[in-house]
Amino acid sequence: MTLLQFVEGPMWYFAATVFLVGAAWRVIGLLAIGRKTDLSPAKHSAAVGFIKGNLRHFVPRTTFAERTWFHWLAGYAFHLGLFALLFFAAPHVKFIEQRILGFGWPAMSRTWFIIAAEIAFAGLIVLWVRRIADPVMRQISDRDDHMGSWLTFLVMLTGCFALGESDPGLRTLHMGLVNLWLIYFPFSRLMHAFTFALSRGYTGAIYGRRGVTP
Amino acid sequence: MIVSTALDRRIGAVARRSSGFRRLAAALAGVLLLALVMVVAAANPGMAQSVRPPAGAVENVAPPSDPANSPVGGRPGAVAPEVVNPTAGKGAIFDTEMWQRVRKGEAGKVTIPDPMAGQLVQSEGEAWRNLRNGKVSTWGAWVLLGVAGAIALYYLVRGRMPISGGRTGRVIPRFSLTERIVHWFAAGLWLILAFTGLVILFGRYVLLPVVGPTVFSMIASASLQAHNLMGPIFVVSILLLFVTFIRGNFFQVADFWWLLKGGGFFGGHASSHRYNFGEKTWYWWSVVLGLVLSASGFAMLFPEFLGSRNYLQLANLAHAIAALGFIAFGLGHIYLATIGMDGALEGMTRGTVDENWAKEHHDLWYEAHKREATTNRSVAEAKAALGQV
Repeated sequence: MTLLQFVEGPMWYFAATVFLVGAAWRVIGLLAIGRKTDLSPAKHSAAVGFIKGNLRHFVPRTTFAERTWFHWLAGYAFHLGLFALLFFAAPHVKFIEQRILGFGWPAMSRTWFIIAAEIAFAGLIVLWVRRIADPVMRQISDRDDHMGSWLTFLVMLTGCFALGESDPGLRTLHMGLVNLWLIYFPFSRLMHAFTFALSRGYTGAIYGRRGVTP
Repeated sequence: MIVSTALDRRIGAVARRSSGFRRLAAALAGVLLLALVMVVAAANPGMAQSVRPPAGAVENVAPPSDPANSPVGGRPGAVAPEVVNPTAGKGAIFDTEMWQRVRKGEAGKVTIPDPMAGQLVQSEGEAWRNLRNGKVSTWGAWVLLGVAGAIALYYLVRGRMPISGGRTGRVIPRFSLTERIVHWFAAGLWLILAFTGLVILFGRYVLLPVVGPTVFSMIASASLQAHNLMGPIFVVSILLLFVTFIRGNFFQVADFWWLLKGGGFFGGHASSHRYNFGEKTWYWWSVVLGLVLSASGFAMLFPEFLGSRNYLQLANLAHAIAALGFIAFGLGHIYLATIGMDGALEGMTRGTVDENWAKEHHDLWYEAHKREATTNRSVAEAKAALGQV
């Protein structure tokens, strides 16, 4: 068995299992915690608050827009770029079709792939630089934040290395890091990819019930 | 396509003159000849990879390359591929005139989308290759080694420049959060592009003998992909750098005196404003070379818009020369910002500098900002982050 066969075979299945089981465990655990029953009479709908809380956070508040536009823009650039790369890059669509779902969908053209990659890279670099340059961000960032950022960056970088599909070693490197990323994911703040909706919704529901949802 | 047309003509002529056994023998001979040519080509990589007509074949043949710098001629034991006229002495038609026109760079018609494919031989390409792999690579390497050597020598003689009078414990906000983010954004991309660019330019001479062809092909392919993908983002970072740092980077009278005093690198004090002459030169150097790199880089990424291989080759040379100049100057900048000078780096990491450092290196700027000096580092950093610099 070659190293590529290993990272795309046993290691991939192990990493995918850790990712799925770990992420499900975390989300189900959060939902299972529940919260204490609110005995006060509801002024408005908590469910509407949950939804509004989620949607409202997609747009920065006007009061803070001037201070937050920079990382707001970078955040969108990175996340949308990564989403496009993850689900619409031709090699990924092929992998998903052949190895995971058994069916695929139209992939991005190479031009759009490059544009998405440029946007994602630019966003990620700016966000990480802000993390180390902003005095407040520096204080509240710990090892996990940096690990998550760097692991994601390396996965993207090695993916871009392997773009030429000229050498199996580069694909091995990329897939190996993807596996590490999947294994690390449930134990880190990368989980915000799933928990952000719960977090925003929880806050939104509390305030919605109290009738103070913006 | 031209070769196949000539072969078709030959085969047609033979077929018309012969019949029966002669026709079969001619076909077999043709197949054997083709197989022989393919075997010779496969066994001789040089034949497969380069188009090298006999010297002086036509007027526009590239000047003979310097064997020491030529990738083929410079290799010990390398033998220049022998050019054979496959039809000589066979009694067939050899279209000398057609090949002369091809050799002169005349373009024919093609039905595929790439119009440049109509030109089979472009002699300027040989001249470009010799220049890139010869003088540009050789002199570029010497320039980089020279700069690195001069920096090392200076460090050995002078050591790390301390802050005169030591640290006061009082800091002044110097770089805003936006300035620092833009700086590190550009610096990060610069490092990736510089490293991958050096692999592309010098890898075959430096890495190939060390790591072998298998590993080198992997590194080279990875470098090329990363370079091509990161390049366009670097263009954005250069434009941001230009806009963000233009304040204070116009040359002033004090810069002339700073230059006359050698910037204080060899003793004495040289006054300067927010940025000194060296920093201003680095700024404009970065902007101008960054734009040259961007334009030439885009030209190489989208050659179909150039319409000619000559422009592509010029873009490649301009890219290599500008990159070498950028890296050479960058080495000095990195040295001074890190190990060369005490107190410089924190301006770009925390956004603040020590009062004595400011007084020593940017006294004219310090005079205007000394009221902001404080022992409360958090307050100074917060002010810097908010852009109060």
